[in-house]
Amino acid sequence: MADKQLESTIAAAAFQKQWFADLRRRVFDEQQAYALVQADVPFELFDLLDIPAVSNQWWSSLIAAKRQAPAFLDAMNADGWPDQLCRYCSLGFAATRYPGAGEAPWGGLPRPRLLCSRLTCDCIHRVFSLWAEAFDTELFEIDHPGASELPPRWWELSRHRWRDLVEPHRLAFVAATLADLLERLEAIAGRRLDMGALGERLEQVNRQEEIFDSARKLIAAAPKTPVRMTEQIANVMATQWVRGTDWALDHAQSFHDEISRRVDEGIAAVPDERARLMWVGAGLWHDTDFFAAFEASHGAVFVWSMYLAFGPDGYIRYGIDDPMAALASRTASFNEYLHNPPWAPEWIVEQAREHRIDGAVVLHPKNMKPSASGRLFIERALEEAGIPTLSIEGDVVDARAWNPAAARAMVRIFLDERVAR
Amino acid sequence: MRNTAATDELNAGFRQGFDSMGRDSGQDRAIVLTSWPSVPVEIIRAAGFESVTALGGPRGTPAADAMLESDIFPSRLRHLVEKALTGKLDGVAAIVLPRTSDSDYKCFLYLREFVRRGVIGSLPPVLLFDLLQSANARVADYDAERVSDLFDKLLALSGRRASPEGLQQEIASANDGRAAARRLLGLRVGEPRIKGSEALPLLGAFWQVPAKRYAPLAEAATVEIAGWPSLENPRVLLAGAPVDSVNVHAAVEAAGGVVVAEVSPFGSGVAGDDVVVNGNPVTALADKYRRDSIDARTPVKKLRQWFEDSVESADAVLLSQPPYDGVFGWDYPALCELLNRRSIPHAVIEGDPGSEPTDADHDRIVTLIGEAAEKKAARYG
Repeated sequence: MADKQLESTIAAAAFQKQWFADLRRRVFDEQQAYALVQADVPFELFDLLDIPAVSNQWWSSLIAAKRQAPAFLDAMNADGWPDQLCRYCSLGFAATRYPGAGEAPWGGLPRPRLLCSRLTCDCIHRVFSLWAEAFDTELFEIDHPGASELPPRWWELSRHRWRDLVEPHRLAFVAATLADLLERLEAIAGRRLDMGALGERLEQVNRQEEIFDSARKLIAAAPKTPVRMTEQIANVMATQWVRGTDWALDHAQSFHDEISRRVDEGIAAVPDERARLMWVGAGLWHDTDFFAAFEASHGAVFVWSMYLAFGPDGYIRYGIDDPMAALASRTASFNEYLHNPPWAPEWIVEQAREHRIDGAVVLHPKNMKPSASGRLFIERALEEAGIPTLSIEGDVVDARAWNPAAARAMVRIFLDERVAR
Repeated sequence: MRNTAATDELNAGFRQGFDSMGRDSGQDRAIVLTSWPSVPVEIIRAAGFESVTALGGPRGTPAADAMLESDIFPSRLRHLVEKALTGKLDGVAAIVLPRTSDSDYKCFLYLREFVRRGVIGSLPPVLLFDLLQSANARVADYDAERVSDLFDKLLALSGRRASPEGLQQEIASANDGRAAARRLLGLRVGEPRIKGSEALPLLGAFWQVPAKRYAPLAEAATVEIAGWPSLENPRVLLAGAPVDSVNVHAAVEAAGGVVVAEVSPFGSGVAGDDVVVNGNPVTALADKYRRDSIDARTPVKKLRQWFEDSVESADAVLLSQPPYDGVFGWDYPALCELLNRRSIPHAVIEGDPGSEPTDADHDRIVTLIGEAAEKKAARYG
C-alpha cells in the first residue's frame, strides 16, 4: 500500500478504530442500542439521539480491505445464493450469516437494535429483510420514489434551491417517512429530539461540507495534486459517517489545512505527476494499491473520485427553515445523482473539467445494478467532452474474479495509447 | 391446442399490439404503451386509450444493444428501447413505465435522456408511474396521488374530461375480465386441462384486449377448454424472475411436463382480487395495483406466500435466474429448503426467459422433467 502522506489520514483511521471499539463496549457492556444502516440514510437523526449508526458500505469496505470478503462470499454461494447478486450491500449480511467462514474486522458486529435502509435498488429489501432475520431485529425501510423531473445540472440547485430540485410530492413523502423514522428512533432512545438541534446539526454539516468544498478546490487548482485520491477517500469517509459532529468539523479542518499547507509549499503527492486520472465508481476496497500503481511507470495519479466531491454538492442545504424537508431533499435522489442520466454524466464531466482530468477509469461492477446502469451514458459524455475513458470490470469488495495484473495491464495500455502526454 | 375463434382472438390480442407498433400511425395514436402491467389499465382506458404492454421475444435488438448495458434490462425493455430507437413508437399517445422495478425506472430515465441528447429526435410523452409497494405507512396515500396524477396526464393527452362514472365502468369491465381469467386459471389447478404455453397468452391478453371484449372471449375459451381431457404430465411451477413469454413453458412442455403456474402478471398473477371501490375509485386502483403488481419490488413475504400456496400442486419447480436478475435469486436458499423439505425436485435456469432456452437450460429442464416423471410414477404407479 502507498505510504500515507497526511497526518490526518492516520488520525482518521485511528478515530474509526476507536469509534468501533467504543461502539462494541457500549453495546456489549452497557447494553446500549445501535443501528446498522445503508450509507444513504440520514445519520444525523441517529447520532442526535445517541444511537450510533454503522454504515453497511463502510463495514463491507473494511471486510474487503482485510481480505475477508472471498471467504464470506464463498459461504453464501455454497449455501445457494447465486454468484450474480450484489456483493457490496450483502457482504455484511454474509459475515453475520456465516460468522465462522472468515474473520470479521475488529471482533465483528454486535446485534443491532434496528436496521434501516433506503430502498434505492431492488435488492435492498431482500438483503435487509434477510439480515434483520439473521439478527432477529427490527427493520425500518425508507421507500424510494422515482424522479420525473430531471434538472441535469442538479448541483447548481442543490444548495440554495433545493426545494426546486425534488418534486414536491417526493419531498413530502420522504420528509414524512423520515419523521416516522425519527419517531421510531425516539422510542428506542426514550427521549424526543428537538428540531432546533437538528437544524443546528444540519448547519454544522453545511460548515463541514464547505470545508471539503474548499479542499476540493485546492486539489483541483493545484499544479499537481497535493493528496492522493485514496487519502481523500479515507478522510472523507471517516468524517461523513459522523458528519456535523465536533470531531468531524475539526477533522475536516485539519485535512483541509494540511492540503493547504502542501499546496503553499508546492508539495505534490507524486512529484512526477504527468497525467491526472479520475475514478468513476465506488472504491476498489480489496485492491486500493491499484490506485497508486501507475504513478512510477506513467506519472499517472488518481486525482478525483466522487467521495470528496459529492459532499459539498450533495449535502449542503442553505435556508434550513424546515430541517426535515432539507434532510429529505438530500436523501430523495442520492443515487440518481451518482449513477443515472442526466444527473451523473453532467456532474462527472463538470468535475473532470474542473480537475483538469486527462483520463477516466470507469468501474463496471456487473453485479451492482445501480452502478452498472447509467455507465454507458457517463462514458459517452466523458468521451464527447474529450476525456479518454476506460471501462474496467470488477467488483468493489469481491476479489475473487479480479485479476490485479490484468487490470493494471489494461490501464497501462490505456495510458500509453490514449492518455500519454 | 384446438383453436377456436375465442382462443385465436386472445392469442392474437396478446402479442399483436406490441409486435405491430409502428405499422399504422392511426392505430398507434390510440395506444398507451406500458413497459409492464403494473400500470392500471382501467385509467388508460377511462382516459380514452387502448393499453398495450411491451413483451420480450427472441428477435434481436441491435439498436438497443448498442445503447444499453448488458445484464440490466430484460428482453421486454430491450424490445421497447429497440422500437423507440427505430422510430416505431413515434405515433403512440404515451409511453408509461412503472416504478415497480429498477429496470423500468432506468428505462424511463434512458428514454428521456435519448431525447435530451438527440439520440432520438423525439418521442411521445414518456411518463413514470411511481407506484411504491413497501409496507411504509405513507405509501397508500402516495400511490393514490400517483394514480390520480397519471390519470390527469392521460386525460390531458386525450382531451377527455374526467368522468368518475367512466372510470367506474372501466373498473367493472376489468373486474369482469378478472373473473373470467380466474375461471380460466382454474383449469390449470389440480388436473390441468391446458398447457401453460397455451394458457399464458389467453390470460395475458387481459392487459391488451379491450376489457369488454376480453371477458366474453375468456369465458368462451374456458367453456371450450373445460371439455378437454386432463393432462397427466408432471406439473411444473415456474418461479424466480417473472416471465412474459412462453419460451420456457414450451421447453418444459416439449420435455413432457406441463406448466401449471408461474410468477407472472401475464399468467398466474393476471387477475388477483377484484378492484373493490368503497369510496374513491382512484384509491381503490392504487390499493389493488400496489397489492397485486408482481415485479422486483413486490415484497418478499407476498411472493413467498404465493409460492408456498402454489407449490402444493406441483411435481417440480423451475426457478429462473436470468443474468439481469439481482432480486429473485435472493429467495433461492429459502425456496430450496422448502422444496427439499417437501421432496419436490427443482432446477435453476439461467438464460433470459424472454429468449429461447440455452442448451444448458434445456438440458436442466429435460433432467428435471425426467426426475419429476419418475417421482410421479413412483407415487401413483
